[in-house]
Amino acid sequence: MLAIARKEFLHIIHDPRSLMIIFAMPIIQLVIFGYALDMEIKNVDLAVINYDNSIQSQHLVEQFEGSEFFNVFVYNGGIDDMEQLFLERKAKAVLIINQDFAQSFQRNISTPVQIIIDAADPNAGTLIKNYCSQVINAFNQKYASQPALPSEVESTIWFNPDMKSAFFFVPGLLALLLIMICALLTSITITREKEMGTMEQILVSPVKANEIIIGKVLPYIGISILVGALILVIGIILFGVPFNGSYTLLFLLSTLYIITALSLGLMISTIASTQQVAMMIALIATLLPTMFLSGFIFPLSAMPKILQIISYIIPARYYLMIVRGVLIKGNTFFQLIQPTLILALMTFLLLIIALRRFKGNLET
Amino acid sequence: MQRIYYIIRKEFKQIFRTREMIAIIFVAPLIQMLVLGFAITNEVKHVKLIIADRDNSFASREIVRGFQNTDRFDFLGYMNSNSGIKDAIQGWEAQMAIVIPTEFGHDLQRNLRPEIQLIVDGVDGNTAGVALGYAQGIVRQFSQNYLNHPLRRINFKRIHLVQQEERMWYNVNLDTAQHMVPGIVVVLITLISMMLSAMNIVREKELGTLEQLMVTPIKKHQLLLGKLIPFLVLTFIELAIVMKLAQIIFSINMEGSLFLLFSLAFLFLFTTLGLGIFVSTITQSQQQAMFVSWFLMVFMILMSGLFIPIENMPMSLKLLTYLNPMRYFMYIMRDIFQKGSSIQYLLKDVIPMTLYGLIIFTFGVLKFQKRVS
Repeated sequence: MLAIARKEFLHIIHDPRSLMIIFAMPIIQLVIFGYALDMEIKNVDLAVINYDNSIQSQHLVEQFEGSEFFNVFVYNGGIDDMEQLFLERKAKAVLIINQDFAQSFQRNISTPVQIIIDAADPNAGTLIKNYCSQVINAFNQKYASQPALPSEVESTIWFNPDMKSAFFFVPGLLALLLIMICALLTSITITREKEMGTMEQILVSPVKANEIIIGKVLPYIGISILVGALILVIGIILFGVPFNGSYTLLFLLSTLYIITALSLGLMISTIASTQQVAMMIALIATLLPTMFLSGFIFPLSAMPKILQIISYIIPARYYLMIVRGVLIKGNTFFQLIQPTLILALMTFLLLIIALRRFKGNLET
Repeated sequence: MQRIYYIIRKEFKQIFRTREMIAIIFVAPLIQMLVLGFAITNEVKHVKLIIADRDNSFASREIVRGFQNTDRFDFLGYMNSNSGIKDAIQGWEAQMAIVIPTEFGHDLQRNLRPEIQLIVDGVDGNTAGVALGYAQGIVRQFSQNYLNHPLRRINFKRIHLVQQEERMWYNVNLDTAQHMVPGIVVVLITLISMMLSAMNIVREKELGTLEQLMVTPIKKHQLLLGKLIPFLVLTFIELAIVMKLAQIIFSINMEGSLFLLFSLAFLFLFTTLGLGIFVSTITQSQQQAMFVSWFLMVFMILMSGLFIPIENMPMSLKLLTYLNPMRYFMYIMRDIFQKGSSIQYLLKDVIPMTLYGLIIFTFGVLKFQKRVS
């Protein structure tokens, strides 16, 4: 068994490029996610078409210019050619002030201004719309004696008051990378032996099936623990992610998740006959759901029912809760007993089925 | 010519020999599109909510009712104590709490501007932000109604307001799928063309059959053409299928020219196939090839604007996206689909993308020849 582990380990070391990627990938992802994933849009390019050159309309434009959200520029092309701005991606929104703006503003209770928004990306579109209403609201309070609302709202965000994106991504990346290394790599390495015919050579040796499996996965367990620690250290040092819970608890539950991922990898290797197939199955069965059906980036609550149901069998869903709980909320084991039990049960079933299939494969 | 044909035939036979492979090429993209198309949304529903109504007046009950009458929130019950709220949120039972202070109704009438507290669990950033927005909206609606109540109606004659009228172009219904699905199509064709071609070539190396091919009188360019054409064809079939499915399942509108789209996709595939060859020359095993191309994929996807709009990125990362071939095709695809852009508006993406493709492709081919000889 140790001999197999050593062989597998040598096989990994033998290939420094892959090894480098294993360690470089999480760092790069962490940095991109940590810095780039800012859902707030700033400096939205806003074109102004002002047909009314009055002081009032000037005030309105200044209000937009004063806002940190917008990058205001004057467009002289007129309404008919305005679509060019969107097609050339020069503006995300166009503010149109009509000729009778000042007149109407002095006479009427309400004066419309039109804002055309490029809503091709609906999220950005909605954000821009909200920014515009903030600016117009401020304008109204300043120049139109609009009464303030009678009550105030104070919002507190617990556990992440500054809404730092690293707080969400470090736990998510941990779940993603562990599954990737354990499920993807192990499934491919076992399938590789099958494809190359070396599995049979191992079989005729007196090694037992369990020993083959343990020997093959041991190095990957080591690597995944190292990568996991690396992600955590970078997250904590570089991005200020807290570690509010117990180290032992996180370590133990992570080991459980690693075993889940390895069982998945083993399972895939019993289904796939070539490495290409193993890779594709692993992508679809592990990476895709871990990224999209675990609640890592996109909220599960508004997804179609069927995807929500599928999400219940995604191990990362529970592991994510565990990591977020231990790191950020400072949960105790007692508070995490539910996801832990589900994950344990899942692992148990997966492992048994995978082992049976693996042994069955060996005998035939 | 005939030699190329034979290799193409061999490749197709090899691809379709494994039953799983067919499933992978045709079923996998369907699954990916379904999951991604439906999963990528920033909408939030059924946020688990507890309320501390410490006033229990007519006004406070009005606010509670506002939160009960929506599927955005699932009202779990009242919880008046601070420690109870803390336990509920820390213990994953509730995601949000609203605290209405004592004397809220009174203070409202005396115009003391009482303060409602919204507490949200920040561990899930997207949900927290969106839920907070909804909650603020509900409270604002309450305030607006309160102001507009006939008994308290302020004298509107003195007021002259500017009213915002917005028009949402290109996506009136604010349907996320219209934006995401064209982007996912880009990812799918990149995945298929780059990963599979890289792994396919390396596979011959790994199994030792590449050497057998080399001793045959086939020239290198014939070998490469024979290897790449099948993947080109497959990718185009894939593209057609995926686009048809997108129209059926997500009712994606296609505003622009289909011909333009396919021509530009052809240009884009030079990049991905070129990358595929390149990866195959620097790797020795399929495992490595998969790994390197997966690494490239992750980088390309993250920096393409698929999930994170490029406009939102800090300057340094924004500059980095220009190095990403997928960035250009992502813009092209979305603009043709959503805005119906014609070629003149896309030139600023098409030109760098084509140059890129040619450089990468040439580089890959040269590198491959060196290896073979």
